[in-house]
Amino acid sequence: MFETRRVRTRVLLQVLLTVLVIPFVFPLVAMVQGSLKGAGWSNYGTVLSLPLLPGFFKNSAIIAAAVIVIVLVCTMTAAFGFSKLHIKGKEFFFWLLLACLTLPGVVLLSPLFATVTRVGGYNTLWAVILPVAALQIPFTTLLARNFVDGIPNELLEAARVDGANTVRTFWYVLAPLTRPIMAAILVLVFINSWNEFLLALLFLQTPDHQTITLVPQYFVGQYNNDQTKVLAAAVLTGLPVVIAYVALQRYFERGLAAGALK
Amino acid sequence: MTTITQRPGATTSGSSRRRQRLRRPAGLPWILPALVVSVGLLYYCIFYTAYLSTLDWDGTSPLKESVGAGNYVKMLSDPVFWGSLWHTLVFFVVSLVVQVVLGVVFACLLHSQLYLKTFYKVLIFIPVVLATATVAPVFRQIYAPDGTLNSLLGAVGLDSLQNTWLSNPTIALLIVISVQIWQSTGVVFVLYFAAIGQIEPEITEAARLDGAGNLRIIRSIVWPSVRGTTIAITILTAIGSLKTFDIPFLVTSGGPSYGTEFLGTQIYRVSISFAQVGYGAALSMVLLVLALAAAVVINVGGRRGSAADV
Repeated sequence: MFETRRVRTRVLLQVLLTVLVIPFVFPLVAMVQGSLKGAGWSNYGTVLSLPLLPGFFKNSAIIAAAVIVIVLVCTMTAAFGFSKLHIKGKEFFFWLLLACLTLPGVVLLSPLFATVTRVGGYNTLWAVILPVAALQIPFTTLLARNFVDGIPNELLEAARVDGANTVRTFWYVLAPLTRPIMAAILVLVFINSWNEFLLALLFLQTPDHQTITLVPQYFVGQYNNDQTKVLAAAVLTGLPVVIAYVALQRYFERGLAAGALK
Repeated sequence: MTTITQRPGATTSGSSRRRQRLRRPAGLPWILPALVVSVGLLYYCIFYTAYLSTLDWDGTSPLKESVGAGNYVKMLSDPVFWGSLWHTLVFFVVSLVVQVVLGVVFACLLHSQLYLKTFYKVLIFIPVVLATATVAPVFRQIYAPDGTLNSLLGAVGLDSLQNTWLSNPTIALLIVISVQIWQSTGVVFVLYFAAIGQIEPEITEAARLDGAGNLRIIRSIVWPSVRGTTIAITILTAIGSLKTFDIPFLVTSGGPSYGTEFLGTQIYRVSISFAQVGYGAALSMVLLVLALAAAVVINVGGRRGSAADV
């Protein structure tokens, strides 16, 4: 985009980029540095030897996996239906779904709390899984529908002419073609559900049901605000998402952009 | 992006359209799972909230008293509510402007021929994927009285500038906004990066031949071409500002003296800590209406006079 043929401009722009990135890196450096103060690496040892820690990770993993399955199934079938099948009042249903995009999770607080306690879901992972999935589906459906719209109808018609029913068409034609957007949705949903805080704070009361986003708070309570341990715990809880993002970075950005550009 | 290919052998468009409609199988069962999980659950909650907002109820006792619009009237004279709205507005304006400027600049820089572009991209995006719950302790540490910022200031001899940052409401609000900018510039950048990738290189080449400099190209070519993205980002930021909860809750706890209270944190405080479920629900309804209104107004306003996408 910028002219970089002269060495001086190129160096100047590289320096500008570096200077602008520093504020984004600084807190990350402060986090790692802070976690190594005092007892050094043994801060990590203390955190890792916490008997409850595997449980926190397990709960977060279960929630993320369940949300991913629910969201992917609902999103891909809905994108197929909205984009390629005949539905009376299709756009009405779509707008009903899109209106939920604006819905702040905190609005669900009281009704969810009342409902969840009534059906005995308090302190179970389902109380987090279902609302988190419900809140993601509008956005992922929008992304996926835009993507499926770009697949030529002729491909699906050809499958139908060859005798495939709707289910087979979905499974053997559409599903393989939509892998890029599914990968993007997978990363997006993983990050969002792994990072969910409010609903976990509200509904998961005992440590054996809590998730890793509650770990820093747990440490503040347990270790009398020992900052080095809190930061070590923060680094450990952040690692899985950073790894997931870096590994799937290409899909993620392409998918986000593909959905948002249309 | 994709062109619709017309099959060469197709007959007149009318009959082919009819044939297509006849052929298209019913799709209602396919969208049902999404509708049940998402629309079902969320709309159930919205109507439930609307009902709760007419009650005076503590959330657990069997005693529910209907107060009609009483909770909404109470809101009008609640200074914390007006404070939350004001903080949301400041938060929205400041974070939008800074993110858009940074996003466009980063996107342009990373579309230029520079070194280590993927590395920089990843660094800008890592804050997006980290949970606020994960990074909040770091920010509290940085701005603590004996924290990183004060010791940095001390190290360079600027002791006079040392401050108890989080105990000043204005500075605390700016800190909350800065954390938001830190966390969501990555998304804005990625969207602009993709949008700028769509601009034909010939156009910028031609402008350059006509003598346009880098800044002129940003202003006259890049900025108008990414209008659709800017509208989308404005909507996302508006809704995001109204949704703000994690950052003020975890970094400043809404304080000092409600100085960083937002609608989200106020709803939590009122509904859970004060057990005024009815009032919390009324605040939720206002928040919901504001979010919907913001999306509609920005979308309509942004589309006027241009065929912008998104």
